[in-house]
Amino acid sequence: MQPEKPVHLSTRLTSFAVALTVALAALALRLWQLQVLQGDYYAQLADTNRLRIHRVAAPRGLILDRRGTPLVLNRPAFSVSILPMELREPTRVLPELARVLGVSQEELWSRWERARSRPFEPVRVRRDVGMRVVTLLEERREELRGVQVEAEPVRVYPFGAAAAHVLGYLGEVSADELEALRPRGYRAGDLIGKAGVERSYDTVLRGDDGEHVVEVDVAGRPLRVLREQPGRPGNTLVLSLDWELQQEAERQLRGWSGAVVAMDPRTGEVLVMASSPSFDPNAFSVGISERQWRQLVQDRRNPLLNRATAAAVEPGSVFKVVTGLAALQEGRAGPASRFVCTGSLRLGRWVFRDLQAHGVVDFTTGVAQSCNVMFWMLGRSLGPERLATYARRLGFGQPTGVDLPLEATGVIPDPDYKQRTWREPWYPGDTLNMAIGQGFVLVTPIQVARALSAVANGGLLVQPRLGRAVLSPEGQVVRTFSPTVQGRVEFSPSALQALRRGLEAVVERGTGQAARVEGLRVAGKTGSAETPRGRPHAWFAGYAPAEDPRIVVVVLVEHGYRGGLNAAPIARAVLSRWWEGQRAGRREAGWAAR
Amino acid sequence: MGGALTADLRAARRRLRHVDWVLVACTLALVAVGTAAIASATATPEQPLGLLRPRLAHVAVGLAVLAGLAAVPYRSLGEAWKLLYGLSLALLALTDLVGRTALGAQRWLAVGPVSLQPSELAKLGLVVTLAWFLSRRKEPPTRLPDLLPYLVLAGPPVLLVFLQPDLGSALAFVAVLLAMLWAAGVPRGQLAGLVAGGLLVSPLVWPLLKPYQRTRLLVFVDPSLDPLGAGYNLIQSKIAIGSGGLWGKGLFAGTQNTLQFLPMQHTDFVFSVIGEELGFVGAVGVLLLFWVFLLRVLQVASSARDAFGSYLCVGVASLVAFHVLVNVGMTVGLAPATGIPLPFLSYGGTALVTHLAGVGLVLSVAVRRPKILF
Repeated sequence: MQPEKPVHLSTRLTSFAVALTVALAALALRLWQLQVLQGDYYAQLADTNRLRIHRVAAPRGLILDRRGTPLVLNRPAFSVSILPMELREPTRVLPELARVLGVSQEELWSRWERARSRPFEPVRVRRDVGMRVVTLLEERREELRGVQVEAEPVRVYPFGAAAAHVLGYLGEVSADELEALRPRGYRAGDLIGKAGVERSYDTVLRGDDGEHVVEVDVAGRPLRVLREQPGRPGNTLVLSLDWELQQEAERQLRGWSGAVVAMDPRTGEVLVMASSPSFDPNAFSVGISERQWRQLVQDRRNPLLNRATAAAVEPGSVFKVVTGLAALQEGRAGPASRFVCTGSLRLGRWVFRDLQAHGVVDFTTGVAQSCNVMFWMLGRSLGPERLATYARRLGFGQPTGVDLPLEATGVIPDPDYKQRTWREPWYPGDTLNMAIGQGFVLVTPIQVARALSAVANGGLLVQPRLGRAVLSPEGQVVRTFSPTVQGRVEFSPSALQALRRGLEAVVERGTGQAARVEGLRVAGKTGSAETPRGRPHAWFAGYAPAEDPRIVVVVLVEHGYRGGLNAAPIARAVLSRWWEGQRAGRREAGWAAR
Repeated sequence: MGGALTADLRAARRRLRHVDWVLVACTLALVAVGTAAIASATATPEQPLGLLRPRLAHVAVGLAVLAGLAAVPYRSLGEAWKLLYGLSLALLALTDLVGRTALGAQRWLAVGPVSLQPSELAKLGLVVTLAWFLSRRKEPPTRLPDLLPYLVLAGPPVLLVFLQPDLGSALAFVAVLLAMLWAAGVPRGQLAGLVAGGLLVSPLVWPLLKPYQRTRLLVFVDPSLDPLGAGYNLIQSKIAIGSGGLWGKGLFAGTQNTLQFLPMQHTDFVFSVIGEELGFVGAVGVLLLFWVFLLRVLQVASSARDAFGSYLCVGVASLVAFHVLVNVGMTVGLAPATGIPLPFLSYGGTALVTHLAGVGLVLSVAVRRPKILF
């Protein structure tokens, strides 16, 4: 008994065949899409799978002082990173890694969360791990898949806090910075200069990282090196700092809050820039801890602030250089002018009192004794607009353009400024205050140094500069910086001469005698600037030798009471150290002949 | 005596003439491509030939079974359906009880040094049984109660395989059942109702699924749900195939394969190796071979001597087609990962022998076709 085949079998088989054909054609189309249309895309993904591009971190360039003393170096070290793409068991690996590294699990998890969006980019979790950790991790490589150890030098500041504000420090590149810098090869977690010349010369100091292309299997085991391209260390930056003077200045400032700036008035080269209190930039090199950072930022003495450039304070009598110059230039005073100082000046209903009655003084003596009454009279005769004009010609009220980030501008007031800022008219008393550097006038030590340099060099406003030269890693000069003249102050020779005679008298027989150096003619001006925040600031700004100025020194001691008492001796220490060097005939050997 | 011998010889010659040589050639070509891909997928510096030797052993056994089944009159298999069906169920039950566990499922039965995967054998057992029962009817089963016997027959193996758990194979049984009912002339509406009923019941199955199976299904919908976890296999497979481009990277030269980024690259993902190393040309070539193979099997089905032979062929065709579509679909990201091998190509002895045995059945039908057709 054999049943016939059902009649509809052949039509059903045909539709079955058609369905199969359609389904297989669909698969073939899908293959066309994946392999032909998107083939390049997937080929790239396959390469990303198998190629590990290890960055061979290039050491950052060195930073030297003008004689070649190394101020910033690198030390070989190892960093630990995680590669999210290979880290497939975070719940097992991360706690283990936290234990080995001695960091908190939460920190690793938060890094991992941030890293997940870019699975192919290794993210550092810790810098400068010890050899013990390196061996531990290498031994357990199989277990800890996705954890990498990379050689990466660590920045070292051998002198610790010395000149920390000039040198600056490093920090991890922020998300905003990264946006702009990614095209130049920066990646998340990179250290970049955050302050000082580390920041302003970041591109000079930064090296080109090398690449090491390795083919790996799925376990991340390296199979063969496909390409090796060595990195190039960053260029060396030679600063104009004179380390001996710098250290002397810092010794002198110890215990005070304040700043010392010394520069060559002919070139603008900064020889000393000290700011106190300071901080240790080494703490930043391996990533500063939250606690340390909070301590620094919350310290009321503000150790991170560069008092030489980034904080503007009242100049006090140091500003009389401006008033004096304006008066001489405008013919309101001459070397032979005489003033009667009764110890006070009446202005309408008010009486302005000086510390003492100087009697009859000539201009030179008035400067030497810092006679307020004489400068009040000069200021009153000049008026605020002229005072402001001269101050601005000498560079006050504008940043000096020194090669450091975050410079303060300071304030040179005039009636317009007061109206705008305080919504009050300018009173004649304001003019008197301005004439002696009080009231609304605010300046930075570096501005004072530039202004006094113009007096010392005959009228050139030179840009203060810390960078002196850039050397290749091999020591060849890549670039030198030449002086930049920012402006010319037109002095009549007689005015300049009279002003300088006054400044010399300050040190010879006036308020600045504490700045005297045996065998060196020093000129300068003291200042005791009253401030609403406590005792007056002590200032001294001077230059030497008076007959042929080669160095300008500016000292600010916050709440140092009297310039002649606490600022001038510091200037003297720096100047005598400088003079010793000059007399010893120590030529500036320069970096090349080192 | 001598006359009988010449008669036998004549019969044998006539049968050889009826062998579908295109079908045989397609089968052998697919087995060969699979063997090359397996060698490439399993080669290591220590063992440059990889799993080539066990694979060749599987091929030898499979071809012997194929030839043996082609020689046996297929009707005798149908008459022995109780034995085949019973044996299938017994092996499946045994596997559920004492089977070897691997990859989270109890799928293998150890027989001495050999590991058997009874779910593969049972697929063929069900094909024979269903074909036999369908061919015994004079009229096509048009009413729902008519379908009940087939559902009862298919139920136990589906359930036992599902319990292993092997979702993919369970679905393979269902696909074979539907295809054979279709060929037997069950009206469209009834089949649609059956499918709809199945889909309605499927939410009830969801709580029974193992967590890993649920993830697989979810990840199929969106592989980026977990690119480093469950979606990893699918993503890596697409990368392998896509990066093969038009011409492929060359045998033994696929980076996804040789550097092990591709998971299970000699079993479930062998097609990805072909896509990567032989490119679009190779991958579509394999699909073409399957296409020709399936059309030839259906051709045999329509020219078979009797309904039983036709249904056998339809069963084998649907079995192979389901595996191809689901497996290849998985590797190109069009179907979820269900752990279904690619017929003739994937490494795995039981599956290979089963599919070659299927071809043996088809050949047995082919050589016994009536002469009229030619």
